[in-house]
Amino acid sequence: MPVPWEALIPFGLLTVMFGAAGTLLNASTKGQNQGKPPRYHIDRWDEMMMKRDEQLTGHPRGQTSDPVAPPGFETRSTWYGERAP
Amino acid sequence: MSLQSGSQSTKPLVDPTPMPADVPKVAELGATSGPLKSAAFFIGAYCKDYNDDFMLCKNESRDPAHCLKEGRRVTRCATDLITKMRENCLAQFDAHWNCLERNNHEYYLCRKPERTLNACMFEKLGLTKTIPGTPEGQTPVHELKSPLFKAIQK
Repeated sequence: MPVPWEALIPFGLLTVMFGAAGTLLNASTKGQNQGKPPRYHIDRWDEMMMKRDEQLTGHPRGQTSDPVAPPGFETRSTWYGERAP
Repeated sequence: MSLQSGSQSTKPLVDPTPMPADVPKVAELGATSGPLKSAAFFIGAYCKDYNDDFMLCKNESRDPAHCLKEGRRVTRCATDLITKMRENCLAQFDAHWNCLERNNHEYYLCRKPERTLNACMFEKLGLTKTIPGTPEGQTPVHELKSPLFKAIQK
C-alpha cells in the first residue's frame, strides 16, 4: 500500500523553517558580539564598563588585558571642540 | 587620526585643556571589563590599603581635585598587579576571563578556570580570593563542592 509521504511535507517544512530561522538568528547575534554569546541583564554598571571597553578596543565586546591604556584614551570619553588642523 | 568616534580628522588629537603641569602623570589601566572582573578579588587583596585610602578620601569630599593623589596610587597599584598576573599566571588568567566573556560575566558559571587561577595566584604571588561578609563557619560560595547555583550542563 502506498505510504502518504505528501502528508509529511508540512512537518519537513516546519522543521526546516524553524531550524533556518534559529540558525540565522544565532549567527546574527554571534556576529554582532564577536563570536561570543550576547550579554544580557545589562545594568548601568555594565553599560559603563562596555562603554569603557569600546573606548579601549573599538568594540563594546572587545577585551584586552594590557596593563596600560593606549595613548589618547584619557581624552577619548568626551568631545572637545576640535580646531580644523 | 583623531581617536574620537565619528571624527573625520586625520591629525592626532591635541588635548586643548591639559592637566596643570604640577599634577604627576600616571598611565591609565588598559584592562577591559572581563580581565578586571577576573582580577577583581586579587586587586582587592593586593591593593587594599590604597583602595581604602581612596574610598575614605572620597567620603570626605566628592570634589574631583581632592583625591587625585590617592587615585593615582590606586591606578598604579592595579596596573602593577595586572602586570604581575600576566607575568606569572597568564594562561590561567586568560582562560578565566575568556570563560567569563562567554558566560555573561557570571562567576558561578566559570568555577573550573577560577580554581586553577586561584591556585596559581596563591602559589606564585601569595594572594587568595576572600569574599568579605561571608558568615562565620559557612563555606564561601566559590569553594562549595556541590553548589546550588551552577551551570545546567557539566
